[in-house]
Amino acid sequence: MTARYWWGDIDENGACTPAPADEGAALARLASLETPMDGYLPGTWEAAVDCGAVPDRAAYLARLHALGMRLAADRVADALRGPDLELLQMVRTLDELDSVINLLTERAVEWYAIQDPKFTRKFRAMPARRLVQVLAPRARGPLRGVLSQIEGLGVARSELAREVTRVAARVLPNSSELVGGLVAARVMAAAGSLDALARLPGSGLQVLGARTALFSHIRTGTPPPKHGLIFQHRRVHNAPLAVRGRVARVLAARLAIAARIDRYRGELDPAFIEAANARIDGVLA
Amino acid sequence: MIWRDGSLLSPGEGGVYGERMRGGHRVWDPRRSKFAALAYLDREFDLAPGTRVLYLGAANGTTVSHVADYAEVVYAVEFAPRPMQDLLAVARRRKNIVPVLADAGRPAQYAHLLEPVDLLFQDVAQPNQAAIAVRNRPFLAPEGRLALMLKVRSIDQSRPLDEVGDEAVAALEAGGYAVDSVRPLLPYHRDHLAILGHRVG
Repeated sequence: MTARYWWGDIDENGACTPAPADEGAALARLASLETPMDGYLPGTWEAAVDCGAVPDRAAYLARLHALGMRLAADRVADALRGPDLELLQMVRTLDELDSVINLLTERAVEWYAIQDPKFTRKFRAMPARRLVQVLAPRARGPLRGVLSQIEGLGVARSELAREVTRVAARVLPNSSELVGGLVAARVMAAAGSLDALARLPGSGLQVLGARTALFSHIRTGTPPPKHGLIFQHRRVHNAPLAVRGRVARVLAARLAIAARIDRYRGELDPAFIEAANARIDGVLA
Repeated sequence: MIWRDGSLLSPGEGGVYGERMRGGHRVWDPRRSKFAALAYLDREFDLAPGTRVLYLGAANGTTVSHVADYAEVVYAVEFAPRPMQDLLAVARRRKNIVPVLADAGRPAQYAHLLEPVDLLFQDVAQPNQAAIAVRNRPFLAPEGRLALMLKVRSIDQSRPLDEVGDEAVAALEAGGYAVDSVRPLLPYHRDHLAILGHRVG
């Protein structure tokens, strides 16, 4: 059997063929090279010299270093190329922004309540975001700056949410169409990548994001979770309690198919969406 | 290895990750590097100039950069693309590092890049760490040394250290290694066992 090394091949008679001297050609050869390990013996630099691939040890290392760098850099670029990777970072940043904004708002309101002893949130239905806007001009000292920064974060958050929806419509066209861009992107982020999502069974996808409930079910036999992240989709959280689990299951199954279409075809399939929606709405009817 | 005032140093260009310098040498912190911790705990453990090293689990290249200060060549295997970006930056300025983006559990992916090495250093967070060391045994020269930093909690969350360690040792001995010593990396790293051995046969 031919032994194949980065610097060349040695066939069973001991005859040696050096690898192409041209770096591009050598890289192309290496990119597809797999070396079965049974009966494998590592190649030595002396053999590479005998083969005529390199003149000496220094050249052996220099050439190997250059090839290794290029090969690894190409593989890193390959691995980081998918458009789903940036979407993943965007979703995680969005969720992080949400929690940061909530934390800071809570803290700032507590602080404001000290500055203004008459302050209360009772009897005025005011969303936190609006509250921050109202308090900012009334606050004293550095609190004012903090409140206006929270406002700024809120603006960045809305912009990011819009962008997530936009990118999801491109990267996850069918999933987005089925459950909306934000939920589709969150589900993808929870799976880790579009590849991972496309390999998930519907049953796994159904409980993505319900880890605590799922493992408490497996360990201690509590009722299994009906839904994880897909609860955020309106057809799940608006469904009557009696059919919510069924809706979640059917939706998750369709979403798993949608993710596969997204991964392997990458374009919107209106016929599929229509059939899937009919099936999901059929449960609700 | 170079010791000065009780600190381990390595000769080389500094500023890789903000490490301190002393007398023109880089301070090698045992709290950041399992390799250094092992050297602190076992003064016999040496990295002679000219050593050829296969380093599994190279990560960001922090420890790899120190190893490369001593070794003739370091084959640095790392599976994850993100840390590999950092490792490439390190390897760009240290020509004796050969970066390999591959799965240490699948040596077929990189066997053609290697040559016989004197030291196999392994620091990977996998449940089958002993099996990975066994699979990479063909790269060791006869009598070549193994330094396996066993991450016990990657194998089992709750069982005692020595129990998990004993199993790993048994797996290594069944796989063609002789184990010379096993020691915890305390006080520098918790839940780690340094298993030193060498290839037999």
